[in-house]
Amino acid sequence: MAVKYVLKLYVTGTTLRSNAALKNLKKILDETYKGVYSLKVVDVIKQPKLAEDDKILATPTLIKILPPPLARIIGDFSNREKVLLGLDLVEVRGGAK
Amino acid sequence: MKSKRQRGAVEKVFTGIKGFDEALDGGVPKGRSTLIVGGTGTGKTVFLNEFLYQGITQFKENGVYVTFEEDKRDIIKNVKGFGWNYTSLIAQKKLAFVDASVLKAMTFETDQSYDLMPLVARIKYALKKVKAKRLVIDSLDNLFSRFKNVDMVRQTLGQIIAELKDLGVTVLMTAEKSGQEQHLSRYGVEEFVADGVIELEFIRGQQQFMRRMFTIKLRGTGFRSGIVDYEITDQGLIVHPKIFIDKLVAKTNFQVRKSCGIKGVDELTGGGIPQGHMVLVSGNTGTGKTMFGMHFLRQGMSNGENAVFVALEEPIEQVKKTALAHGWDFTRDEKEGRIKFVTTNLIDISNDKLLYQIISAVEGIQAKRVVIDSVSSLLSATMSEEQVRQFLLQLSRHFKAKGIACIMNYLSLANFGAARGQLLSHLSTNEMRLSSITDGIIMLLFVERGQKIKKLFTVLKMRGSTHSKEIFSYEIEKGGIKMGGKYDE
Repeated sequence: MAVKYVLKLYVTGTTLRSNAALKNLKKILDETYKGVYSLKVVDVIKQPKLAEDDKILATPTLIKILPPPLARIIGDFSNREKVLLGLDLVEVRGGAK
Repeated sequence: MKSKRQRGAVEKVFTGIKGFDEALDGGVPKGRSTLIVGGTGTGKTVFLNEFLYQGITQFKENGVYVTFEEDKRDIIKNVKGFGWNYTSLIAQKKLAFVDASVLKAMTFETDQSYDLMPLVARIKYALKKVKAKRLVIDSLDNLFSRFKNVDMVRQTLGQIIAELKDLGVTVLMTAEKSGQEQHLSRYGVEEFVADGVIELEFIRGQQQFMRRMFTIKLRGTGFRSGIVDYEITDQGLIVHPKIFIDKLVAKTNFQVRKSCGIKGVDELTGGGIPQGHMVLVSGNTGTGKTMFGMHFLRQGMSNGENAVFVALEEPIEQVKKTALAHGWDFTRDEKEGRIKFVTTNLIDISNDKLLYQIISAVEGIQAKRVVIDSVSSLLSATMSEEQVRQFLLQLSRHFKAKGIACIMNYLSLANFGAARGQLLSHLSTNEMRLSSITDGIIMLLFVERGQKIKKLFTVLKMRGSTHSKEIFSYEIEKGGIKMGGKYDE
């Protein structure tokens, strides 16, 4: 199956917050879009240049690159509804849109 | 030299902004943060930019620009207007940007558990990239307004400032002025920035905006004055610092006298005008006050003493034309560096600016003689009488310390047609008030006698000299003023 959702997650180091956010996010994505998403994780401490290029100010920040439109959300991603709303993704029963 | 060390106090760093370092006794605190507060259009951003630019070009201190307001491209474009090439500086790794300007797409906050560590990381990255010693942040308000978690922003800012302090980076940041009493800036950011707060303000004058800078606090500075005037020109910011009086040792040197350049006059003044004297030449229109000043300057120039002519009555070109008609080529003198002309717009005149202009001109060619034509134009301009007194007082102290002799012209509408036995009408109240600042007064008078107008010259006062108390007649001919004999009634 083709990857339809391209996402990039920015975190700061491997703190509790970073790990929790990643875990929450993976859970939401696996539940809703299993197999059709790609998630790249960038540590701003290790790669500050990427953070500069993408103009990241807060962590965790999740950027949805595809499908358009571009969207960004910040927070710990514990609230599923808010995450999907923020990413401008619509939940479709029985599969990905 | 990059910085100036004060006894036990905080070291300062020259900003390189014209006049600022002088006004604030050496610049801004080194390795600390200074907040620039002001409304829109006061020039906060110009200030930041010039601080970085001069830091790189004048003091070899590389810099980082953290922008929340405009994006990097716009900033680079804007400073081209001052002739500053940021693109080249970036390529040379002398300047780096942290572009935190607003993105086109909005950022959605799902909750308030996030931190602003990327900002810290990006700043550190930029500092390292160019080995920066200077950093600016524009603007703090913008940063605060972007996130709901205000505490988080405050915490992060505190952390950033602490880290910058550890690294010994000198920081300037901007904030908008709040409308309220309790805080100077909208988010109370001055509480973080303990080392310096400068406020920029502009007020509407009659024809243009007058800009003023207030130093609210500046650690490590025994700064000279809290309020200074400044301007934004096409080359950047110019601050007009107050000339500090107390430090100068000011007194007249009676041994050195300057010839007035008119045959017969020096004897009347007790040998010429003493070095350090401010002499008022008072007379009605057409009495030849300006001519007197021209003789004085020309004489100086032929003795190898440079001159400054402050033209407030007539345009400089007119002054030169009049001089030429009497055989003096001031244009050539100017070209050959013997004389400098100073003038200013009399409406919305800035005390400090004119003072600074005159002193700069004098220092520029090491002038020993100055003519101000005229002091009365200052009184009729938007300067109050007290301002004029202060202005002349400061000028007088400076001239005495530097051994400069100065003639000030005064247009006195009295002194015409005095009746017999009452030749000298008394001085006007204005002249009286100026009298305490002036060391000498020469009066030029018209008197009507038997169908003719005669011109009369007398030295009313010349402090510390034995001057003639008599009245002499004179004429203005081609070639200048020619003294006549004693005036007998």
